[in-house]
Amino acid sequence: MVRRLLLDARSAMASPNRNARSAVVLGRLLGIAFLVCFATGVFSHLLQEPLPGMRFPTRPVRIYQFTQGLHITAGIAIIPLLLAKLDAVMPALAQTPPVRGVLHLLERLSIAVFVSAALVQVFTGLLNTYQWYPFPFPFRQVHHALAYVLIGSLVVHIGTKLPIIVRYWRARDSYDQHGRFVADRTVGSELLPDGQEAERASAPDAAADQSAGSYPRGLTGRVLRWVDGVPTSTPRGDGPGSRGASRPTAEATQGRRERIARRGFFAGVAAATVGVVALTAGQSSTLAEPFNVFGARQRHRGPAGLPVNRTARAAGVLATATAADWGLTVVGRDVSRTFSRAELVALGTAQVDLPISCVEGWSQMATWRGVRMRDLLAAVQAEPGSHVRVTSLERHGGYRVMDMGPEYAEDPTTLVALEVNGETLDLDHGFPARVIAPGRPGVLQTKWIEKIEVIA
Amino acid sequence: MRTARIVLVVVGVLVMAFGAFVLVTTVRPNRIGGLATWLLAAVVLHDAVLSPFVVLVGALLRRAGRRLRTWSLVVAQAAVVLGCVLVTVVVPEIAAKAHGRQNPTVLPFDYGARLLVVEGVLLLVVVLALVVGARPAAGRRPARTASYEQVVEPTTSR
Repeated sequence: MVRRLLLDARSAMASPNRNARSAVVLGRLLGIAFLVCFATGVFSHLLQEPLPGMRFPTRPVRIYQFTQGLHITAGIAIIPLLLAKLDAVMPALAQTPPVRGVLHLLERLSIAVFVSAALVQVFTGLLNTYQWYPFPFPFRQVHHALAYVLIGSLVVHIGTKLPIIVRYWRARDSYDQHGRFVADRTVGSELLPDGQEAERASAPDAAADQSAGSYPRGLTGRVLRWVDGVPTSTPRGDGPGSRGASRPTAEATQGRRERIARRGFFAGVAAATVGVVALTAGQSSTLAEPFNVFGARQRHRGPAGLPVNRTARAAGVLATATAADWGLTVVGRDVSRTFSRAELVALGTAQVDLPISCVEGWSQMATWRGVRMRDLLAAVQAEPGSHVRVTSLERHGGYRVMDMGPEYAEDPTTLVALEVNGETLDLDHGFPARVIAPGRPGVLQTKWIEKIEVIA
Repeated sequence: MRTARIVLVVVGVLVMAFGAFVLVTTVRPNRIGGLATWLLAAVVLHDAVLSPFVVLVGALLRRAGRRLRTWSLVVAQAAVVLGCVLVTVVVPEIAAKAHGRQNPTVLPFDYGARLLVVEGVLLLVVVLALVVGARPAAGRRPARTASYEQVVEPTTSR
């Protein structure tokens, strides 16, 4: 009974697109996209939580803008590719027998882990770019942990499917001269047609048209015949013979049909991937800016033409950041100094162009004016190679305190910024003063700062 | 090949184990329960809802495809697939905006209206493709046995 149901489901799912070659082609694209997301994601994670002794590149100054924009764009491209891949391997869902032994059970479990981790990872990541968290777990920690689970299960999947991947890596090994899929039963693909269809596949001289006999019995068969417009009693067409001498051979017809179905499928996948990327990537790439229809952000929108993530109100600094007695305290090993905003403005003659690049993928270049971090550190006689800790007026939040390695602290473009794009910093951009450094995530460009300490 | 497979599986299992370790050390146990629900729901949603739906749509496209020229089916299908993916991506965006946002620079557009416009354009493409690409109705009946050949087999969406 169950076997019958599964077989019926498999015949309903049978399609020229759902074969091992499609799975390999989509799997390659998806694998690349997952690896890109993993590498850029781990880079972003390490920037925020460096291991002891780590140093990071500060040039090109747009490095984080690039890697994180890539992370989000590749993540969005994964959505159609993942759905296409799941579609291509659908018949494996209904394989009979469902479990062939302990190893097979483990393999199917690893695929369940892979699929669920991939779906949750991509979907919650998408929601994070919308700054919406309707799920019952913390985003950042889970996104980080699931990344390893996902990549690990991807590697396991490649390992278990390696013979199939190798067998169907190249198109010319996957299709015969007519363009028909070559069903190789030796490599263990779970997507091969079974039953009578299998006989058809192994007997190339059989009628290429699906004859009435290749439909399952019962209701499913009737529905499939209705779909294909085949009468129950007489098989559609009388085989190749009835087609006249000028007709192409049955093999060629079948091959042409399969090829068109495949190309139609991949045209759909390509349209979806290109379309969804083009309509959203404008938030992280100037190239796609004109097509920014669905991006979660728009460049040049916000105070001083720059978007905002956390407002002064949300950070709870409305009173403290506008207080008349605000001062920036710089604490060295032996010397401490406090600068009023007027003093900082008098010192602040350095001007740099640096992007603000958010973990959520949006980014924008801006012109900043302020005091070089290394000049402030020199004013308290900090030694070269010092690590620095910056504290914000924010009362709570994971980014109230930010640590900065010497590669950033000594970089001539790292500023305590007082102006952006020719205007005094807006309260939402970190007035009275904020940090801007090259190649770091936006969450580490601390706003509303009150203290800079030399810590090592 | 055998060695490569064993190495891949072992490395993959180790990386997965590291992910599980990161999970239990950084996320509180009661939150892991919530995550487990979401992971399970993702598989169930895909296997029990999305897949049958796609099979159904695929069957309908397959039936409709018999009366269409190849190119028009491919165009219609690509538009349907893009439309579905955009719905998947943009509907949560609309919900997120309705749920309230931090400040006016987050989710700045009227995504509902924009989605309607884009889906409308895609619908127009589908309709045009179906109308222009329809096979002449007259030849349909006899075509079934003689001159007509079904070129397009199930070219399912997604």
